[in-house]
Amino acid sequence: MDISEKMDDLKTKLKEMVVHDLKLSELKPADIDDDAPLFEEGLGLDSLDAVELVVLIQKHFNVQIKDMEEGKKAFASINALAQYISDQLRSSGHELT
Amino acid sequence: MVEGLKKRLEACGHAFFYTMLFCFGQTGAYLFLWPVIGSYILGSRRIHHLIMPYLNRRFPGQGWWQSRVAAFKIVHSFGKVLVDRAWLGLKQSAALTGVFVGEEKVCEVLNQGRGVVLLTAHVGNWQSALAHISRLPVKVYSLMQYEQEAVAKHYFDLGNETCPFHIIRSDGFLGGMVECTAALQRGEVVTIMGDRYAGGPHVTVDFLGSPVRLPVGAYSLAAATGAAVVVLFAAKTGKTGYELRVWDLFTIHHGDRDEKQAEMGRAAKRFVSCLERYLEQYPYQWYNFFDFWKQ
Repeated sequence: MDISEKMDDLKTKLKEMVVHDLKLSELKPADIDDDAPLFEEGLGLDSLDAVELVVLIQKHFNVQIKDMEEGKKAFASINALAQYISDQLRSSGHELT
Repeated sequence: MVEGLKKRLEACGHAFFYTMLFCFGQTGAYLFLWPVIGSYILGSRRIHHLIMPYLNRRFPGQGWWQSRVAAFKIVHSFGKVLVDRAWLGLKQSAALTGVFVGEEKVCEVLNQGRGVVLLTAHVGNWQSALAHISRLPVKVYSLMQYEQEAVAKHYFDLGNETCPFHIIRSDGFLGGMVECTAALQRGEVVTIMGDRYAGGPHVTVDFLGSPVRLPVGAYSLAAATGAAVVVLFAAKTGKTGYELRVWDLFTIHHGDRDEKQAEMGRAAKRFVSCLERYLEQYPYQWYNFFDFWKQ
């Protein structure tokens, strides 16, 4: 699997995680636009969902989002979140699987 | 124009009390509070508008004089808190002595590697409470609005103390929730005011017999990270004494999104029940000077 396929796979996993673990029953993973903002006018997630998302990312990918600046960057969209996780894994010596 | 005059009068008031403190010490400044607050209570309608929503519920059926006396007691106790703050800043040797009832319970949770959400309120001397928690064995963060942050910094600057906690601004991205989550995941402590609703997710619960909106961020943080919620209030118990007490300690679990709101409501009820018990014991240490039930 090349890097772009791995990224596509990661985005799919993230969308499934958002829909299933945040219990967004009215949404399907495929409905989420890769570039849509996750919060407010995008998917409509709120600050309480952010708490759960931070915990889920730590649990599933062992990546910690530590502060507002990182959060802003990571939660801009599914694309941004996938890129953030991939960068964090790479900088800690891990590879996307 | 009026605002400018108000600010100048306020500055004169502060200068007056600092002079009293300098010349006559803490006791002298306490004595000067009597005529100042007495005339304020008799001459200002505004303060009654701000305090009556609380007094009507805490002491229903009070007459005109009784409610004036109760209003005086609240403003007077708040004045003492402000004097203490200034006194700590002016005199190097000044110190408040406090007891922390239930500290071992908080340490026990922290020793298990779990984070703690310290839930407090605008009652008693909450700054003293924050100063005392520097004894905890992990880093302590405080989620604050911009103005509270300025007040807290000012308080510790006055006392030449290093601020015992790290401030997370609640007016930042997603209300500071990302930083709070990260701190709790590391097994650290986050203090949050559970009584002030400034928009966003909330629940409505009965407090002193009437419904009030309260924020749920603290409960959501605890549920997601597995942190314990510790309800902690401070009370001024004497001229230089105060008590910090753990009023409740609990964990929140919620299965799915539908259960979440109900679970948050149950947690908020526990918090409110602690606050009601606190106000039974310290009815005049309530410092929310606005119609709390309309927040």
